[in-house]
Amino acid sequence: MSEDFLLPTGMTVAAAARELAAGLHVRAGKARCSHRAYYDTFDGLLHSAGLLAVWEDGQLALIERDSDQTRARLEMEKPNGRLFASDVEPGRLSEALHELIDVRALLPLVEIDLVERPLDVLDSERKTIVRMLLERPTLARRRLAPRVHVVAVRGYEEALRGVSQMLGSELGFPRAEQSLLDEAVIASGGKPGGTSAKIDLAIAKGERSDRAAAAVLRALLDVIEANLDGAVADVDSEFLHDLRVSVRRSRAVQRELRTVFPPERLAHFREELRWLQQITGDARDLDVYVLEFDAMRALVPESLRADLDPVLDALRRRRTRAHRRMSRALRSERTAALFREWSAFLDGIEELPLGDRPDAASPVAVLAGERIRKVYRRMVRMGGSIDSASPSTEYHELRKQGKELRYLLELFGAVLYPESVVKPMIKDLKALQDVLGRNQDREVQVAMLRSLSDEVSAAPGGSAALMAMGVLVERLEADKHAARLAFGERFEAFGSASRRRLVQETFV
Amino acid sequence: MSTVLATYNIKGGVGKTSAAVNLAYLAARGGARTLLWDLDPQGACTYLLRIRPKVRGGGRKLVRLKSEVGALLKGTDYEGLDLLPADFSYRHMDLALNRFKRPTRRLVRVLAPLRDEYDYVFLDCPPSISLVSESVFEAADALLVPIIPATLSSRTLEQLYGVIDGGGPGKPRILPFFSMVDSRKRMHRDEMERIRGRWPGVLETAIPASAEIERMGVERDVVASYAPNGRQALAYRMLWDEVQRRLAEYASRPQ
Repeated sequence: MSEDFLLPTGMTVAAAARELAAGLHVRAGKARCSHRAYYDTFDGLLHSAGLLAVWEDGQLALIERDSDQTRARLEMEKPNGRLFASDVEPGRLSEALHELIDVRALLPLVEIDLVERPLDVLDSERKTIVRMLLERPTLARRRLAPRVHVVAVRGYEEALRGVSQMLGSELGFPRAEQSLLDEAVIASGGKPGGTSAKIDLAIAKGERSDRAAAAVLRALLDVIEANLDGAVADVDSEFLHDLRVSVRRSRAVQRELRTVFPPERLAHFREELRWLQQITGDARDLDVYVLEFDAMRALVPESLRADLDPVLDALRRRRTRAHRRMSRALRSERTAALFREWSAFLDGIEELPLGDRPDAASPVAVLAGERIRKVYRRMVRMGGSIDSASPSTEYHELRKQGKELRYLLELFGAVLYPESVVKPMIKDLKALQDVLGRNQDREVQVAMLRSLSDEVSAAPGGSAALMAMGVLVERLEADKHAARLAFGERFEAFGSASRRRLVQETFV
Repeated sequence: MSTVLATYNIKGGVGKTSAAVNLAYLAARGGARTLLWDLDPQGACTYLLRIRPKVRGGGRKLVRLKSEVGALLKGTDYEGLDLLPADFSYRHMDLALNRFKRPTRRLVRVLAPLRDEYDYVFLDCPPSISLVSESVFEAADALLVPIIPATLSSRTLEQLYGVIDGGGPGKPRILPFFSMVDSRKRMHRDEMERIRGRWPGVLETAIPASAEIERMGVERDVVASYAPNGRQALAYRMLWDEVQRRLAEYASRPQ
């Protein structure tokens, strides 16, 4: 537990120290200067986990924001650019980071210089029961407001409440609205908590459908644009992933809510977003192959795993080429024009005539509910005729519908309908999509391996690699079959009679 | 998963508590998340750290696993070092433990929720050989055994090796070190040589006897904190380095 207070207007740091020493039983320590560099992922994964990563005095530490407790730390050079969990020497810090940020990179957030003076609050035994730090922070030579950082000592939380009460009510120190880190991030033009790809909009049930659709699409465009630079610079794989998910979600809204848009203009933007999806496809697929290569490699016996290295090399080469192609396209005038025009179109949607937009002014809950019902019914129909011998196209089509339904549920269902219905429905849908995805992934992986065979066989160690690839293809096929066998059970949960009734009754 | 180190000797007054608080302090200063459990009902560690010797529900509730152990911990004046305080009821801990089917596993179970939270857990044990000490042997990865270079002390070491039965899986390592050494005394020098000859595993570092350490009770502080440049503090730093090296060796070649 910790709290921050600012100094009362006009009070100097020295006067504050005197005031605090007079009001509380404190032991003043020596002032110390430090330089801190903070890090987080682009989407603020550490922030949302209540943590921060800070480099100070030659150590990178993972610290709990609320209690100031150090979870893990490691002596290392100051990271000057991105830092992956795998870049950190094996140990507790790298383990904790792996768990928290997975494949995301930590990026420099902000650096501050700090003069801090400890003022420990003591009890009658002269034992520290609350730690107070009088802090004078500077951000790029610009002074930030001095503050008093008050931290509870474990087991003495009650004392913190007393000290906070005294500081706030009796000594007149105003409570700081932000932590020092968040204040520094804002002062440097950033956003505390980073940029999440999650869409968090409040939409009323009776909202006009075109306005609601435009608000969702605008939020998705913001995510696409926010992730563009990181995808081009290849900072980490999640920039491109989040960009593509938002494009896919946008396309689902375009399709499912098409009756709120003028058909001709919509056709143009559907074509453009399809293009955006397509130009980013290869790079993302290859990102996934490379990221998941070790998991795929683990499918073959250990003695053959090293033989697959030429496959990984070939994938990396392809990935580099694909990223180059993608970056050119993302930097093109066509992309810039798409963003510009799509944005202007969304801004002006309500002004457009209603003649060719039959559902534009109808309540969004009615339209979205109808679409959810329809897509769900379609999936139930399609899934009911699938068995383990069905052609892959049927699985694939069902998966595509599943994505459509998931986006509808996440973007509209979760906001407009009871959580008690939507949440379990999304959960069962995800479980179903997992097996459908595994079936599809295995199929695509087999095709990818086949397409690499010429390139791999020409590389040193190519024959051994080809043999290992043969085993891998066999294992992938077996896993695909296992996924198909698991389909029935998952589909049963998703399409049960009770769920069908519930969908019919809820989304009206 | 934390490493559990117990300062232990069958005999009292040999420097267990001084070693426990100083080594725990040094561990925390080195950046390790450290917990010290003062198992001695006399509560010397707890007193030195200026904390009230009181555990809600007492030792009995604790070993019955009825207390949430995390809520009983107290932060000390040193960042990274927490204390599970002593309680006068610990004097009956033998009786409390004796009620269970596998009494010697209880301390392991009490500590279980904390093993991921701390890198090191130090146990400061009361002297004697009892159910409490047997429980400590089960919970500890290593016993830090201070020995005064005198005939009686070496006898207790002999007894301890007998109890631990030469080590093995599940048994703690024994790390004896000389404590309260007066190198001006010939008897101490001779005894140290004899003991090292008999038990080559005795650590190199010896903690000298000095008035500095006796001041701990007056200062109510850790010698490595109030006299960081003194002989005692230096000896504890060397001892801690040596213990860590030894633990690293053990980790690379299991028993």
